[in-house]
Amino acid sequence: MPKAARMRARWGALLAFVVTIVFGSRERTAWAQVVEVDARTTFFHEPAPGSTMTVYTPSADLTARPWEALAVSAGWEADIVSGASERIKAGPHSRTASPDIVSGASVHDVRHLFRGSFVITRDVTQLSAGGSTSNENDYKSRTVHASARTDLFQHNTQIELAYSHSWDTVCDAAHTANTDPTLRLPLDTSDGCFKPNATDRTEQPIRTDAFQLTFTQAWTPVLMTQLVFTGQLQNGFLSDPYRAVVLSPNGQFAQEHHPQNRAREALAARAAYYLRSIKTAVRLGLRGYRDTWDILSGTIELEGEKYFLPWLRLRATGRYYTQSGALFWSDDYTGGEPATGQRGQYWSGDRELSPFSSVLVGARILGSWSAGEKRVAGIFQGLQAAAALDLIFYNYRDFTLAGQSPRDTRAYVGALSVTALF
Amino acid sequence: MSTSEIGRGSWVIGLLLTALSLCSGCVTVRPEQRAVLADPVMQFQGDAREAAQRQHVLENREGSYGGTSVQGGGCGCN
Repeated sequence: MPKAARMRARWGALLAFVVTIVFGSRERTAWAQVVEVDARTTFFHEPAPGSTMTVYTPSADLTARPWEALAVSAGWEADIVSGASERIKAGPHSRTASPDIVSGASVHDVRHLFRGSFVITRDVTQLSAGGSTSNENDYKSRTVHASARTDLFQHNTQIELAYSHSWDTVCDAAHTANTDPTLRLPLDTSDGCFKPNATDRTEQPIRTDAFQLTFTQAWTPVLMTQLVFTGQLQNGFLSDPYRAVVLSPNGQFAQEHHPQNRAREALAARAAYYLRSIKTAVRLGLRGYRDTWDILSGTIELEGEKYFLPWLRLRATGRYYTQSGALFWSDDYTGGEPATGQRGQYWSGDRELSPFSSVLVGARILGSWSAGEKRVAGIFQGLQAAAALDLIFYNYRDFTLAGQSPRDTRAYVGALSVTALF
Repeated sequence: MSTSEIGRGSWVIGLLLTALSLCSGCVTVRPEQRAVLADPVMQFQGDAREAAQRQHVLENREGSYGGTSVQGGGCGCN
């Protein structure tokens, strides 16, 4: 058989297999006619004199279930950003040389993300796949993901395997290939990014592969546990193109310079237990993380959720997070060898790579109504509305802005959501 | 820590998950006993979209990642 015919035969067989999986149940699945509309927004605010940051994240998703076995979703999300951030990171020694070395820059950006996915559910298995595409002035991202889940031992055990791959592109200032990293200047604005005729701009790729194995187990009628292992490989331009770091006592600075590769892994263990005496569900989560940049972190999260009315429940959350700094992290990169040169091969102004801890406290109130014989408000089969507020406090152990502790160490995160079933 | 050390850690975690999955076959919660387990308050990712947006906020300000979901697009990093 010619090669082209063999290829056509293989693709035909694959298509037949997919059609069989989707439509080939022994019984004709019921016509469900359920449409879910979800609208929500998150509000993030980090108040600080001179470097406040506000981000609105509205989103809308539509999910249709043309058959019981199939759900198809499409959605949109945006990040609307306004504020200011420090663009040149200096250590305590640079302050002596130049008190104004820490500069701020205003930030205004909108990121639009479009996503789509489908889920096929059979008796004990669930397959899902989807993708997303997002664009902002200086960053593009394309992601695909797929997962497979199965129930074992009379649905008491659930195992899920998930994978995703991202093709991202970040805008950067055009440097000649042999320009030493210590001489590279940061990107000043996003003007000209992704424009084919902009000679002073270039595009840098980032590739990300992530996989996850989830194991969920029901142990008793009121106790459930979950183990999640996540691995991620990143390759490409992992720095912030706008951020610069002071490398010598006389104030010379260069664009942030991070390693091109990063392997990351996390293991999370969770338990949910229902306290019948106070009719409250308690969830405890622990997570350990490490990566090849030598960051180690631990997270402990405790949640309690209780019904106050059959349709109204309240959730309280507490979370503590702590991490070590990256191997190449320093609050001051001056004073290397020779004395006027930078310290080390890589340099960063990213506070997320410094050692710090954070505390989150939050609450959510949620109302949920299901249609019995009559639809809710005469329209909905189901309706759910929620409001949440989280407060986050950061404690940076080693990060300063020219010797001064950062002032933007508090954040407020609010969320509103409405989900309707028709 | 090197990539090979992370690889070795992955094998240990894989073996741990396999051992746990073998133990779990001994446990039986009958369908009529699952009313509480099926309630939304007992779900680890009860509202996946809310969890994803919160995770987006947290991961943009932390050096770590993982333990929730591998979905989601890149950046929006402010």
